[in-house]
Amino acid sequence: MRNEKASKSMPVMPKQPVPSVRPSVLSPQSSVLRTEFSLYLRFIAARIRGQMQYRASFILDVISRFLVNGLELAGIFILFHRFSSLGGWGVGEIVFLYALVTISFAFHEVVAQSFEDFSLTVRQGEFDRILLRPITPIVQVLASDFQLKRLGRVLTGVVALILALMRVHLTWTVGKLLYMPVVILSGIFLFAAIDLIGGTLSFWTIERTEVINVFTYGGVYMSSYPISIYQAWIRRTFTFFIPIAFVAYYPGLYFLDRTDPLGLPRFVSFLTPAVTVIFCAVALCFWEWGVRQYQSTGS
Amino acid sequence: MDDPVIVAERLEKTYRVPVKKGGALKTLVSRGTQAVHAVDGISFTIAPGEMVGYVGPNGAGKSTTIKMLTGILVPSGGQVRVAGLDPTRQRRTLAARIGVVFGQRTQLWWDLPLIESLELLRYVYRVPEARFTENLTAFRDVLGLDEFLQTPVRQLSLGQRMRGDLAAALLHDPPILYLDEPTIGLDVVAKGRIREFLLEINRERGVTVLLTTHDMADIAHLCPRMMIIDHGHLLYDGSVEAIRDRFGTERTLVVDLETDEPSPLTGLPAEEIRADGLRRWLRFRRAEVTAAELIAAVSARYGIRDLTIEEPEIEDIVRRIYQEGIGTRNE
Repeated sequence: MRNEKASKSMPVMPKQPVPSVRPSVLSPQSSVLRTEFSLYLRFIAARIRGQMQYRASFILDVISRFLVNGLELAGIFILFHRFSSLGGWGVGEIVFLYALVTISFAFHEVVAQSFEDFSLTVRQGEFDRILLRPITPIVQVLASDFQLKRLGRVLTGVVALILALMRVHLTWTVGKLLYMPVVILSGIFLFAAIDLIGGTLSFWTIERTEVINVFTYGGVYMSSYPISIYQAWIRRTFTFFIPIAFVAYYPGLYFLDRTDPLGLPRFVSFLTPAVTVIFCAVALCFWEWGVRQYQSTGS
Repeated sequence: MDDPVIVAERLEKTYRVPVKKGGALKTLVSRGTQAVHAVDGISFTIAPGEMVGYVGPNGAGKSTTIKMLTGILVPSGGQVRVAGLDPTRQRRTLAARIGVVFGQRTQLWWDLPLIESLELLRYVYRVPEARFTENLTAFRDVLGLDEFLQTPVRQLSLGQRMRGDLAAALLHDPPILYLDEPTIGLDVVAKGRIREFLLEINRERGVTVLLTTHDMADIAHLCPRMMIIDHGHLLYDGSVEAIRDRFGTERTLVVDLETDEPSPLTGLPAEEIRADGLRRWLRFRRAEVTAAELIAAVSARYGIRDLTIEEPEIEDIVRRIYQEGIGTRNE
């Protein structure tokens, strides 16, 4: 990722040719990535040290997050106390979907929350500083708000997963064991990419949060339930446009040995990683474009 | 003379801002825009090792220019070259060769002790360990960092934070340093310390410095050359001496008398323009009397407890340039 491509409005000075090589270009791409990744780790290590200065507050934060999200989980159980099944799905299966979404979403909150508050970064001029450093902007933005305390919600997800597995007696296979972490990781990236798109919007507007929250928070809530119970346009939106259905429902069909009531072929369950890669690529392109717009508008 | 390190030619930046007409709803729908020429075709060059003051009233285009020189903003027109690079196309390469300090914002990590921020920046800029230690030792000494090196940045005073920010901006040995209002909000002692440091790094390391400021005293202490910008145009580019002789001719001596005297004070080569109890403001012209002569004259007649000399504000100078015109533009 470079933001140094030719820009239309900026003619090259004829007198001195632009030096075509730079240290970071000379070295292979992989080593650039490695350097930036190790910097990212240093940044977040520093942030964790900063956050750990207030240990008691940290622990309280984790616990309260766990409890607040635990209420949501309790809500599902209360709901199923009245209705024993929903669209043919039992409570254990629903909680399993909820666990998948929650774990992915909560991890994404730990690592990628900074894009949710990115409009503040832009408004306060902090993005200028990011552009002044010889590191990829996205690495710096990601590292700027790494919040370990949000692990409380991950905990809720793990508890939900345990409760779900106690009820559904899932038949484990090697394939399922291997695919589970892939699905969770994909989910983290998918949510992060949605936030990245939302963050990019803050280059133009400060009202972005509400719009994108419909997709993140709304998406989380929605995809805790089997997507087959929704109307067609909702299913299509969350499959093709904002592919949150690939976080839990589609791979969930495979884990739970169910077939889609609407007759989707089995392989759809395995599309999660591919869909994630494509969606992330689109989000990254949009971001890169946004950064260049920022540079020429100076908002 | 060496090849210039900073070249700007007919540099322009035009913002499009939405125009409000009619009610809120109409504004939402129509989105009419108006062009604002923040920087409107300015040209200058800066040679290595120069220390240049870049001044102008608020909204004159100072920050916009600096942002174009760093690659944060793409110019709308004209050309710019810094350290042989095109700032927007080679922004990240350039980043390693410039240091930037924004007086009102810090680049240090808020939660961390200063030393940890500096360590992180060592990795960001890939400064070799030996060089890092060398620089840090030098800066600790001149900037007096030792007393707060282990303190979290959020607990630092403004002056301490600024010293920390200066060290942070210079750790990677940038040949060019941009300073945006480096002394804003600081007391006299802190300002003095920062000016001394800037003079030293300019002298010892040959760092080229471009600084924006509102404080004419910064310019008087630091910069042989100044550029004045207003409404996106360069009003003046030349020696500070010349501008002071022509437009900054009136200074003010503020004295605190020991005993109350009838106002105005008389028999002095200056005019009393304000009185507040024991404190008197005496305006005098550089060409007519030196500050030393005036002080001697005042103290011969009255007892003085304290005194300061106020340099003309940049706004006053810009106003006078407008009133009287300027013959020596881009000399």
